[in-house]
Amino acid sequence: MAAVIRRIEYYLPERVVTNKQLEEQYKKWEADKIFKKIGIAERHVVSENETAVDLAFEAAQKVLQGYNKDNIDFLILCTQSPDYFLPTSACVLQDKLGLRKDIGAFDYNLGCSGYVYGLAMAKGLIASGLASGILLIMSETYTRHIHSGDLANRTIFGDGAAATIIEKSPQEHFIEFVLGTDGSGMQNLIVPNGGMRHAKDARATETVNASGDVTSANCLYMNGPEIFNFTIEAVPAAVESVLKKSGLTMNDIDYVVFHQANKYMIDFLRKKIGIPMEKFFMDMTDTGNTVSPTIPIGLKKALDNNTIGPGSKVLLCGFGVGYSWGAAIIEM
Amino acid sequence: MKKEDFYYELIEYLEIEPVELNEGTALNSIEGYDSMAVMSLIAFCDEKFGKKINAQQIQQLTTVGSLMEFLGKENFEN
Repeated sequence: MAAVIRRIEYYLPERVVTNKQLEEQYKKWEADKIFKKIGIAERHVVSENETAVDLAFEAAQKVLQGYNKDNIDFLILCTQSPDYFLPTSACVLQDKLGLRKDIGAFDYNLGCSGYVYGLAMAKGLIASGLASGILLIMSETYTRHIHSGDLANRTIFGDGAAATIIEKSPQEHFIEFVLGTDGSGMQNLIVPNGGMRHAKDARATETVNASGDVTSANCLYMNGPEIFNFTIEAVPAAVESVLKKSGLTMNDIDYVVFHQANKYMIDFLRKKIGIPMEKFFMDMTDTGNTVSPTIPIGLKKALDNNTIGPGSKVLLCGFGVGYSWGAAIIEM
Repeated sequence: MKKEDFYYELIEYLEIEPVELNEGTALNSIEGYDSMAVMSLIAFCDEKFGKKINAQQIQQLTTVGSLMEFLGKENFEN
């Protein structure tokens, strides 16, 4: 059996932080300059009591509206900001959403590559006959990991969730995948404390970098230059590889949706690979980098404005924390 | 590449205020040389010179001249 994406919806928390608001807090900061460079004007940020499960629930409710939810026989959730160490967020959601009990549900821990991996797993579950209707959710609240004084990361990241329904189909729409991993880059995007290796430490030293951004080992650390270097190597290679594996060229591809890291970075990658501007999704203006939800949000926006439709061949590429990356070619 | 052209392109890439650059200009003294500009510096090295510059190498850069040295003195003429 083969797989097809049936529906996509996304949900963003209500609270919005604009560039203007950030400018008021950080005097040296210029809202217009930042927008021009990274393409982000505002980002949605969870309130104190809002969690990844809450965002996932809202996105799932939207995608299940008018859909027979008894068709869902597998629930998969990708997050790196789960409500609990245990239980699994997908189990909590199964109950909240009133899904069947004779279904599989699990979480997996990936960042920006999460959506491509999720589609790859969905393809496998359907091909093996283990599932026929999959609810795949990306839900992330990275802002919870970011120090309040870390302007660079507060500028880039936003919170959000996206829900996709994947069904079995007589014809294969998930054409090809390539996946990649390089754990040697683990230190370059990390929340060091809070897991079992290093407990959260209330007395953790706060460090200030040359740009004045504050962080501590309890919070997210990103080595921007190293992450950029990683993408310059990994992304063009993954795109080339998935095209080669599928026997297609960029001319056969109708549209490309990359993980929306920031405008400067992905536009650089676009030029380097040679993807025409008109085939390339680039819009993080009102969301920021929401981590794993950026690709399904992009697909949904492109579907809504009829840039893509049934039959469109779309190339996806997610890349980041891990390092982990993946590229896919799917037919809508 | 002529040094003057190099300075011009560097200013363009880094999107910094047009200033008189020379080999002795300290990078940290340039208005707007921040984490965004560093991202552009990586793009500049890759696109114009096909060279990868890692975070540690960026940290070790002191002046515009040290960047030119990293890129290879032989690439520049007066």
